[in-house]
Amino acid sequence: MMLVTKPVAELCALLIDELHGELPSRIFATLLSKGRSTLPQLSQYTSMTLRQLRHGVAVLLQHNLLFYHLDPGTEFAFYEANAEHAYNLVRTGKILEMIDTSFGAPAKDVMQSLLLSGQTRISDLVAAYQDKIEQATKAGGIVGDEDDFGAETNGVNGDSHPAKNTGPQVKSTAHLNSIICRLVEAEVIDVVHPKTFESSHDVLKTVEKEAMDKHFPAGIKGNKAKIELQERIAEGLRKVRDECKSLKRKLEQNGSAAKRRKLFTGVGMTNGTYEEDIDPALDPKQVIRINYEKCLVDLRNRRLVQFATDIFGETTAYVYGVLLKLLTKDLPRCRSDPAMDVGEDKDDDDEKGRRSVTTDQILDNLKTSVDLSLGIGKAEKRQISSAAAEKVELYPPKKKVLIAEAEVDGEASPDEDEDDSDSSEESDYDSDYKAPTTNGVNGTHGTKVKFDESAAPKERRLDRPTQLRQHLLLLSESRQHFVRHCGPNEWTVDFVPLINALREAELDSVIERTSGRQGLRLVRILRAKGKLDEKALPNVALMRKPELQQKMLEMQTAGFVHVQEVPRDLKADVKKSFFLWFCDVDRSLNRLLDTSYKTMLHCMQVLEALRQKERDVLETTKRTDVRGREKDTMRKEYYERYSRFLECERKLFAQVMRLDDFVSVLRDF
Amino acid sequence: MASTKMADDSAKLQILKDALYEEIRQHGSETRLFTQRDLLDLNIIPNNDLLLLVRVVQGLTDDKLLVGTTNHHAGLAWRWRSREEAKKYTSLPNDETVMVYSIIDEAGADGIWNRTIKNKLNMHEAVVKNCIKFLESKGYIASMKNVEHPNKKMYIKATLRPSERATGGPWFTDGELDTAFISELEGIVFEYIKTRSAYRSSQVQPTAFSSGGTAKPPKKGAVTADSTTARGTKRSATDISTDDTSAPARGGSAKSRHVFLPMPAGYRHYPTVAEIAKFIHDTGITNNTTLGEADIQQLVDVLTYDGLIEPVRVGRRRGYRVTRAMKQDTVPFQKRAKEREAGIGLDQPLAPGPEPLSNGLTEAPCGRCPVFELCEEGGPVSPSNCVYFLQWLDVEDLPKAVAPNVALPP
Ligand code: SF4
Repeated sequence: MMLVTKPVAELCALLIDELHGELPSRIFATLLSKGRSTLPQLSQYTSMTLRQLRHGVAVLLQHNLLFYHLDPGTEFAFYEANAEHAYNLVRTGKILEMIDTSFGAPAKDVMQSLLLSGQTRISDLVAAYQDKIEQATKAGGIVGDEDDFGAETNGVNGDSHPAKNTGPQVKSTAHLNSIICRLVEAEVIDVVHPKTFESSHDVLKTVEKEAMDKHFPAGIKGNKAKIELQERIAEGLRKVRDECKSLKRKLEQNGSAAKRRKLFTGVGMTNGTYEEDIDPALDPKQVIRINYEKCLVDLRNRRLVQFATDIFGETTAYVYGVLLKLLTKDLPRCRSDPAMDVGEDKDDDDEKGRRSVTTDQILDNLKTSVDLSLGIGKAEKRQISSAAAEKVELYPPKKKVLIAEAEVDGEASPDEDEDDSDSSEESDYDSDYKAPTTNGVNGTHGTKVKFDESAAPKERRLDRPTQLRQHLLLLSESRQHFVRHCGPNEWTVDFVPLINALREAELDSVIERTSGRQGLRLVRILRAKGKLDEKALPNVALMRKPELQQKMLEMQTAGFVHVQEVPRDLKADVKKSFFLWFCDVDRSLNRLLDTSYKTMLHCMQVLEALRQKERDVLETTKRTDVRGREKDTMRKEYYERYSRFLECERKLFAQVMRLDDFVSVLRDF
Repeated sequence: MASTKMADDSAKLQILKDALYEEIRQHGSETRLFTQRDLLDLNIIPNNDLLLLVRVVQGLTDDKLLVGTTNHHAGLAWRWRSREEAKKYTSLPNDETVMVYSIIDEAGADGIWNRTIKNKLNMHEAVVKNCIKFLESKGYIASMKNVEHPNKKMYIKATLRPSERATGGPWFTDGELDTAFISELEGIVFEYIKTRSAYRSSQVQPTAFSSGGTAKPPKKGAVTADSTTARGTKRSATDISTDDTSAPARGGSAKSRHVFLPMPAGYRHYPTVAEIAKFIHDTGITNNTTLGEADIQQLVDVLTYDGLIEPVRVGRRRGYRVTRAMKQDTVPFQKRAKEREAGIGLDQPLAPGPEPLSNGLTEAPCGRCPVFELCEEGGPVSPSNCVYFLQWLDVEDLPKAVAPNVALPP
């Protein structure tokens, strides 16, 4: 959940200004600062006319940036700012790019239309595209759609105009139909229903009231009833939430949907010769919108792939990406909502446990062009732990991978947990692994035969499934626990601890970049050891005392470490007190989150200032005779200023998005 | 008569004293405690005459050749002191000096703070000072530094070497943390772990780096000269390639780039602390300092905290491996060692490992801005007059905004 601080509020207002103009932005900012208000109240706060306000509010509602609530019997509805959605505007570019890579350019085009027009009736969307397609055919396929769709978002999205010289992306209504179906099935698009416009608070109140009226007309008595009420409420909330998915369910029940999907994944998006009409399941009156929750799941996958790239390299990360995509296909959101998903969790605990992917599934989805032999070092068979060798074959135990090794390796496996940190038994281990017999023992399992065949003494050539397993095992052996080997050839990801590791890594890179490697060292010492007296630090960190003290103070100011004073006696003489240093990762991260919002805001404000400075140039480019032909029509000096401005704009937006990457990790994933 | 008897007696006593003292010395070091029973069992005192023993021991104690202590296991007990030491004691001019000397003596290799002496003996400060001055002038005691209390004036018996606790162990030289030594060793340990925990691959990687090698042809002399400036700091991609091509083992194949790759899961040869310690010992780098496994562990821990390496357990073996293997520098360490022998780059601290990761926050100027807290639209420093951003955007030629009082970041 997002905390709306002052920088966040300003940022949201600027983003809305950027995309939807000043009027809606002002209304939004007022709503953020004044809280929920009616139109007359708004008019009082802003001294705008009711007409202006109605227009602005309509725009905001269209884009799901407001909640409203009408109490029965009252005249005016209350409006409330939806800061979360406003913030999501920053992700527009990223989401489009993601749709582009996963669903193709035509799907991106449809998404873009939806982003621009806000929630849209399916019939309107179809009509708009029919127009475009017609125009395009008339113009012989040269005219793109930039005037309608490309230009305005260009800025925020930070991507340059896609090269669209082959006519419209969407070739026919049938094509459009199948795109919508695919996007709905992938849950990145869902349907709007009346409750969509109510804030979670209002929804909760309604659901609560319904539950009370229906199940507890006589009021609540006792703890049991209370718990039951909680469950009823959670159930009610889930029902509301699932309404958005009604269209998806309808499509899934519809046999033709499955057929169509097959057609598309099979044939690809090369051209639109499909002569189907709009799917009957797509009710033309239904209003659809972008589902940011699901988009975030995909964005999270991308970030994790990036993380894996940083740690292992591209090939392993690619495998990981395929795994994640398969694993999260039906995952509706990054984090479960404690208010709703408590009961659910219990119900399908097994279901969740079974959320895993098999090696074969991954193999089936790997691009054939990818060479899996890259990215992992070679080792002779005897250099690999016999236990790990077993893993490369078929039956790893249904536990964390590292633990698995105990069972094969150890005559003395019971004390496995105890010798956690000592290396005293190495010699014994050494003799153990030099003995070739261990391999022999493993080889007795039937499934090993394949491995042995391919294991030519020195330079063994591994087959593709084995190579794939190597990557997967590498991922599961990592300290960050990218993957859990959860069953024979089954793989899953525990997102919560993994994201925590990612957050820590982000924090670490900020610390290392700002306070240097020694700063990082000190923080990680504290993280490992808990609270430490200042006197104990130099010895662990192998740093000189004065430097260390200075570093600690510097990092305290930056919010990376915190100090606690412990008085030695009752008199609490400061000179005699102990000072205990510690670090609180969450606290540091929260502070960084604030810094990020503020930095994003600064980027936008710098952009505003630049715009102000280049006002005259930008005015010129707005003229219809100049627009689109800037280079030819503008004076050279003006054009240079203009292109320099565009460059700055691009850089600043790109930075805002990079910052959002960071915010996403800290807050949403 | 009586006097001759006395003289006789004292001569006899002297003989017994000498005999007992020599016998005691045969039976243990200066730290061994002898109980009364032990002394009788030496069979020097005839007839197990307790009274006589008491007299003999008293005599030896007076001569400072025996030191009595009360030990809570054995009760009263004694340990012996060498004759030279005893002579020092007996040569001291007065009781105060003896007391001061003996308290310093007792403190042993840890040394003792002059304030503690004063407090323990409950003497006047001036008296203690005088005694210390005398003892120092005689060369019996010396002042020392204790790393744990660098500001305290400490004294130690001149014949002793300060204990590890006082000197700070192998990482200290003259009471100062020897950071140059530490970072050199860190570099070596890191290099050792890196090359033994990751696979050096010469696969042709489809990266932009591959052309870097040909841009600067390797020149034997030029490289070393180059490295004086490039060493120690992070090497750029081109540096890596040039270093690589000049490495003698690589011969002429300048096209493919070496990278480190992670080892397959279950790799069982990640180096352990014991192995690292042995390696360090065998290289003889630490010529006059002895480093134990615990010391190496300390160093390895620091590298772990730095995020350069990480512990891995495979089976019951706890080894260490390099993090982010593919991002590691492939310049072999021997090459650097050679440079060091040639006296090049000795002044540069080794900074092992790749650049830290970056993110949106560290890249933006605000992430490193000294006036971040003050910066606000409408305030004295604001984004619309921010010089850092102009610099970052590379548009400095735009008319400078009105914040000249903000210093540019270095
Ligand atoms: S002065 Fe510039 S760099 Fe510093 S916080 Fe403000 S906008 Fe950011």
